[in-house]
Amino acid sequence: MQLLLEQVVNGCAIGSLYGLFAIGFGLVFATLGILNAAHGTYASFAAIAGYYAATSAGLPFIASTSVGVAAGAALAVMVDQVAFQPLRHRKAGMIGALITSIAFWMILDRLAGLATGEQSLSFPAGTYPGGTWMVGSLPLPQMQVVAIVSLIVVAAGVHWLIAHSRLGAAMRAVGWNEAAAQIAGVNPRLVILATAALAGATSALAGVLAGISTNNVSASLGEGMLLKGFAAVVVGGYEDVRGAAIAGLGLGIAEVLSAQYISTSMRDAITYALLLGFLVLRPRGLFGRVSFVRA
Amino acid sequence: MLWLSDWWAAYQSTLAFSMVNAFFALSSYAVMATGILSFATVAFAAAGGFLGVQLLAVFGVPVWLALPAAALAGCVASVAVSLIFLRLESHWLALASLALILITRILVLNSPALTGGVNGLSVPVEAPLWLLALLLAGTALVFWRLSSSWYGIAACAVREDPAVASSLGIAPKRVQLVAFAISGGVGGLGGVLLAMVLQFISPETYYINIAFTMIAAVVLGGSYHWAGAIVGALVFTALPVLMQALVPAVQDVANGLALLVIMIVLPRGLVDPRAWRARQAAK
Repeated sequence: MQLLLEQVVNGCAIGSLYGLFAIGFGLVFATLGILNAAHGTYASFAAIAGYYAATSAGLPFIASTSVGVAAGAALAVMVDQVAFQPLRHRKAGMIGALITSIAFWMILDRLAGLATGEQSLSFPAGTYPGGTWMVGSLPLPQMQVVAIVSLIVVAAGVHWLIAHSRLGAAMRAVGWNEAAAQIAGVNPRLVILATAALAGATSALAGVLAGISTNNVSASLGEGMLLKGFAAVVVGGYEDVRGAAIAGLGLGIAEVLSAQYISTSMRDAITYALLLGFLVLRPRGLFGRVSFVRA
Repeated sequence: MLWLSDWWAAYQSTLAFSMVNAFFALSSYAVMATGILSFATVAFAAAGGFLGVQLLAVFGVPVWLALPAAALAGCVASVAVSLIFLRLESHWLALASLALILITRILVLNSPALTGGVNGLSVPVEAPLWLLALLLAGTALVFWRLSSSWYGIAACAVREDPAVASSLGIAPKRVQLVAFAISGGVGGLGGVLLAMVLQFISPETYYINIAFTMIAAVVLGGSYHWAGAIVGALVFTALPVLMQALVPAVQDVANGLALLVIMIVLPRGLVDPRAWRARQAAK
């Protein structure tokens, strides 16, 4: 029982990181219509920026995380403006943006490799809350609590923003039909910038926290996040933030429990079997609604 | 003449790889020509590749029999997959095809009896260049004939507007099913040829990187004409070799930048029939 509880907490912590990343990835997919292969590198660069802020500049945890998040948001805006903006009025569609995002993936992946000197760095102890709280006999590492709380706060915040704020309404409008949104008085350029920054920041937070808790600050960090975040978006549905958050949590728990109780080699198999099952049985995700499509 | 033989020795393998990649690009093009973005070619290639290598290495089947068997395996896999995939909307289909690649790798890793598992399989037979060239020419001939057939025109209509196409008596899903079958056949053939060029395959051979590369090759070459896929594959295989020679330290960065610039300047790709028509009209 003790072991099961510990593993569920572990799973929640890992799953929170997947969920956080998936929120950003899904936001870009739903609002901007871009399948962004470069999204994982935002997480890598955020972790790298956070690492150097913590080690070279000696900033405390909150400040270095903020530096990482800001770096991720800035990178997302830069990539959007360089790679996606020129294609928007050319009607190149999802494929064109996919290709330019692949181009940026190749570039940024290599630059991330150069920035870490081709090795995996880890945050030195003392630059983050490394202690453990005890709840009864259940140990709660502080970083795991930080991850879970971050997911809850960010998912609730982003969901409120999209469902209930003016900016969110504008984002949904641009996602549905950019021209119609513009006629209704929305400035699509601003909305696109805000979406890119928000998505970059969310995934960047996942990147920094994952870099700390897995002791792996490198280019491979982003690639792992991209695959798992992608799975969470498919299971949860990209149209709803809550779906991505819950699916991320679920994937994390399923992964840890299957590694513990079934076998380590089957860990990924279970993740992707879930993925396939959802695609076949519930292709629009957990919170997906059937909507009509204009011909 | 010496420089010519040096050049040949150095770039022979580049040529072989660009021809193999042309099969993958044509396979991706086949579905893209009906308006579908799918990465599933990699999975079909894996089906053809592992079956073909098993036949060649374990059962000692001759090459001329193993190649069609691999194409058939890809074809069967693609029809099975498309029965599920064609129920999904375009965005979901793209995501599902990526998921299929991840699942394929897990299946390959966990069935070592068939695929060699983590260790992979070595391939005893090498594909000579003339065979690759011959098969590619044959496949290109098929695509050329298809492009002006009823099927080719129907595919074009489905890509431009499925609703209009169905009002003209074309069944979009059926056209797309045929497209997947073609994609699977060509992809399966490409899969076994890649194995014969590499002489070794493992789960990593058929994975995400190659999926993105082949889609990028098609779009770079031009996704509105079958020749675009072949040109794209050639450019996309030669580009890294060229960058390796010019700027070895930041090779990938240079590749990415080249891809970025070409896409932004020529979003419809290098081979673009619409641009030809526009040029002819201007005369």
